[in-house]
Amino acid sequence: MEASNPVIAKPPAPPDDVLLEVKGLRVHIDLPGGRVAKAVDGVDFTIRRGESVGLVGESGSGKTMTCLSVMRLYAVPTAHVVAGEIWFDGEDLLKKPIAEMEHYRGNRIAMTPQDPLTSLNPVLSVGNQVAEAMTTHYPASREAARTRALEALEAVRIPGAAHRLGQYPHQFSGGTRQRIVAAMGMINKPQLMIADEPTTALDVIMQAQFLKLLRDMQAESGMSMLWVTHDLGVVAQTCDHVNVMYAGRIVESGDVRRIFKQPSHPYTVALMESVPTTHAKRERLYQIKGQPANVFNLPPGCPFYERCPIHMDKCRTAYPDKTPIGKDGFVHCWARQ
Amino acid sequence: MAPLLEVIHLVKHFPPAVGFFTAGQGTVHAVDDVSFAIEEGECFAIVGESGCGKTTTARLALLLEQPTAGSIKFRGEDVTTLRGKELHAYRRSVQAVFQDPYSSLSPRMKVRDIIGEPIEIHERLRGKELDRRVDELLDQVGLPQNAADRRPHQFSGGQRQRVAIARALSLSPKLIVLDEPVSALDVAIRAQVLNLLSDLQERLKLSYLLISHDLAVVEHMSDQVAVMYAGKIVEMSQPGRLLTDTATHPYSLALLSATPKPDPDIPMPEMIGGDVADPVNPPSGCRFHPRCPLRLELGSPAICSAEAPPEVDLAGTGRTAACHFRGAPVEAAPQPAPAGEPGY
Repeated sequence: MEASNPVIAKPPAPPDDVLLEVKGLRVHIDLPGGRVAKAVDGVDFTIRRGESVGLVGESGSGKTMTCLSVMRLYAVPTAHVVAGEIWFDGEDLLKKPIAEMEHYRGNRIAMTPQDPLTSLNPVLSVGNQVAEAMTTHYPASREAARTRALEALEAVRIPGAAHRLGQYPHQFSGGTRQRIVAAMGMINKPQLMIADEPTTALDVIMQAQFLKLLRDMQAESGMSMLWVTHDLGVVAQTCDHVNVMYAGRIVESGDVRRIFKQPSHPYTVALMESVPTTHAKRERLYQIKGQPANVFNLPPGCPFYERCPIHMDKCRTAYPDKTPIGKDGFVHCWARQ
Repeated sequence: MAPLLEVIHLVKHFPPAVGFFTAGQGTVHAVDDVSFAIEEGECFAIVGESGCGKTTTARLALLLEQPTAGSIKFRGEDVTTLRGKELHAYRRSVQAVFQDPYSSLSPRMKVRDIIGEPIEIHERLRGKELDRRVDELLDQVGLPQNAADRRPHQFSGGQRQRVAIARALSLSPKLIVLDEPVSALDVAIRAQVLNLLSDLQERLKLSYLLISHDLAVVEHMSDQVAVMYAGKIVEMSQPGRLLTDTATHPYSLALLSATPKPDPDIPMPEMIGGDVADPVNPPSGCRFHPRCPLRLELGSPAICSAEAPPEVDLAGTGRTAACHFRGAPVEAAPQPAPAGEPGY
């Protein structure tokens, strides 16, 4: 299944410790009336083995579309990849026949979705659903599947797992459901876990418990993680490396400490300053003026131009190139050239 | 002078739902003996996890539910027994902004009608005069005048929330109940809406009852914070002081440490386990005792599961936390966790 066509010369594979490399990815969505949304407009990033990488941005910035592209789960033909490569463990996923993606989804690449209630089937027992995540890829006897499902539920620390296997999703609380979904993701020991806003449906304490669980499971299994979120608090506590997205592009990238201590792109700076903290009261929050960029009509220059406090004339006409910062970081901003 | 809104020993029990297939499963103790007061011009916040009773408290204050026991006083007058005209007047003075601006605005109505409808009903304004009022309100919440002729789907989440705020302001209320007003919004938009709410409060001398699970938002906005757990207020901050600085109840400390800090140098906290208490069968004694880290630390004293802790009573005894071992007034009060991050 994994053998690639020997006739096509294999392009140089990325360095060995890189698990996922996304290069120049562009995804467009066609809408009625001939309108085109440039949902992802030239995205590059890498995830190393065992690394935790964050994708941060507002709704509509293209972060979810980027993840769906990695899984090739976007709705064809409305959404289509216009350009780019997605290298996963030495192979370009975009070149694979779509049927072969089944081998990756839920197996080598797993995803914990945002809403645990709608992602579980209400009429199947939890044990069946967790076991199915395994038997889809690795056929096994009923007994063996049950044992593995039980182990998976115990790994996500669901108390009394043996007796809860036969229960249905509605009998679990929100936090526990999220763990069940995580157990389904983890059961095949994926190399990459994509966590798309995994805690927005959870309360703070449940959120903290769940983040810790994912971090612990990552440390044990050595998998890589891609965190997709707009919550900077979650990013700070989980990621090694952060990519900030705006209007379909990564505008800044860097080590988590550098991003939080010395943000460079004006959008990143604004994001940091607009978050209320428990330590301050009644100070006016910094607010980014205006509305998020319109992906139907992106300007030729920097899409953040109109909202940017330090914009210059050339920002309007041309998009700035990458300026490297530190070892693995960069920023796209004329003011930082 | 009496506070603007005073809630006294408020109780709301929902009777068991008896369905075709299911027998009743027991009464839900949503709100169990809650008391607090909101002064004029103050922002009072209730923080807690889902199911702790904070939204039911808000719905009671809006008289969308009838309390099982206890009273709600508006400027000293009990409103739970109001009927007819007087009830009408109360409903004008107390308005609400809800969490989800996608479902709280009718998709079929133009913004002009959404904002104008309450004015039409209560003040019988029509035509040009009504339009002028709507334009004023749009201006107050920072929306352009051409917004009036559009429908909700033509706006982003943040703009929709502004429409909902304009609607709440349309009858010049004294108190606005804000039920998770920004949790459905993106960070950048959140800041805009929070700033708008602060500005309006100052300019129009409004009082807010803010319901949220986000302590950062709550600390930012409020003059006083009540922490709810399983239908009870377990801790109340002193007016004008941050809960962060004064919290002593183990549950408040857990909430504080669970709030993600946008700083990669703060390590992930050790988190308390377990689920929120079951409102049908709340635990005996202190409702937090099955999850309480302080109880474990103290070697599981029997009192925690046997006796309900003393109630929060700022005005009387000065007790700030409903805990057998914390929050006692002044001299007996043990020091809150050592400097820096809360201990749990």
